[in-house]
Amino acid sequence: MQPGASQKITLPGVKHVVAVASGKGGVGKSTVATNLALALHMLGRRVGLLDADIYGPSIPIMMGVHETFDPNTAQFPLDRYGIKLMSMGFIIKPEQAMIWRGPMVHKYLSAFLTQIPWGELDYLVIDLPPGTGDAQLTLTQTAPLSGAVIVTTPQDVSLIDARKGLEMFRQVNVPVLGIIENMSFFVATDGKRYEIFGNGGGKKLAQEAGVAFLGAIPIDPRVAECGDHGDPIVHKYPDCDIAKAYLNLATIVSAEIAKGGAPSELPGLQL
Amino acid sequence: MQPTARPIALRKEGDDRLRIDWSDGHNSIYAWKNLRAACPCAGCREEREKPPDPFRILKPAELAPLKPVGIAPVGHYAYKITWSDGHDTGLFTLEHLRQLCECDLCKKS
Repeated sequence: MQPGASQKITLPGVKHVVAVASGKGGVGKSTVATNLALALHMLGRRVGLLDADIYGPSIPIMMGVHETFDPNTAQFPLDRYGIKLMSMGFIIKPEQAMIWRGPMVHKYLSAFLTQIPWGELDYLVIDLPPGTGDAQLTLTQTAPLSGAVIVTTPQDVSLIDARKGLEMFRQVNVPVLGIIENMSFFVATDGKRYEIFGNGGGKKLAQEAGVAFLGAIPIDPRVAECGDHGDPIVHKYPDCDIAKAYLNLATIVSAEIAKGGAPSELPGLQL
Repeated sequence: MQPTARPIALRKEGDDRLRIDWSDGHNSIYAWKNLRAACPCAGCREEREKPPDPFRILKPAELAPLKPVGIAPVGHYAYKITWSDGHDTGLFTLEHLRQLCECDLCKKS
């Protein structure tokens, strides 16, 4: 793999490219992206998962990939649990800090999209880093995005940044498929529901923005435990309520993509 | 511009102009030289803010007539124009292109 100059990316074997984004860090984008990808796979789809967080890649640990590989000789994408994977975390040591400016991020992300043989996929899910910076710009400028899902938690401090993420996709004419509210509530052993991080923020944002509310994912300590142990909850506990929530989410995301269709390409001109 | 208006066709008009047909029925015309003069890249914006330097030494590429050599879409929201002097850092968003339109209708309004 040789990171080089960017080019328009067509990904001919990939039917839909879905970005999982948020303006905010720590809302669970990687957890949502990983479990959504697995849920889509459980629905019978061919799925890839690209970790676009160059500075803090999470997919290796979440998918149980503990070794690093030589990018000049390794066969990428990797395959775990039936999903094709690519991450910066596969080629750098976990303790290595990527102290890079934007052009380097752009080079590597473009390489991940253009030089990794993704093959035939129904969905390529892209786990974006927080914010609205270089990684987002690279993807919206070069990748054929079918749409973006915005992840938020219920509280206002998350919604403020989720709005920015949503507005970014609007400005670059990428369809926003909808809002996912993560860590929405906790059901205790007494059966009572506790809204630890507030109530209704995701639905409120969806309504304000005129996009679909895709669903609420409850808090479950097993989510973090599974993520840390490299076996995502949808795979390890496929019958639990969280897995059912993700399967439902995958069904809704598929339907939203089918409804909207990917935006058509802008016409060019040969000079 | 309607928020969802998109280019449906781009055409050269003679050697010196670009025409863009939009999905809302509008047809835009631009002189290439005016597009270069309005390049939105940070470098060009900074140059436009400086007073002209009468003693500036021209680069060899500036001595040849300036022409566009490529125009390509960037994502779903902009175009990048590459010029004969190698300049290619300007991204013209669809919104900006509509603002720059030189058609009679846009000039009047």
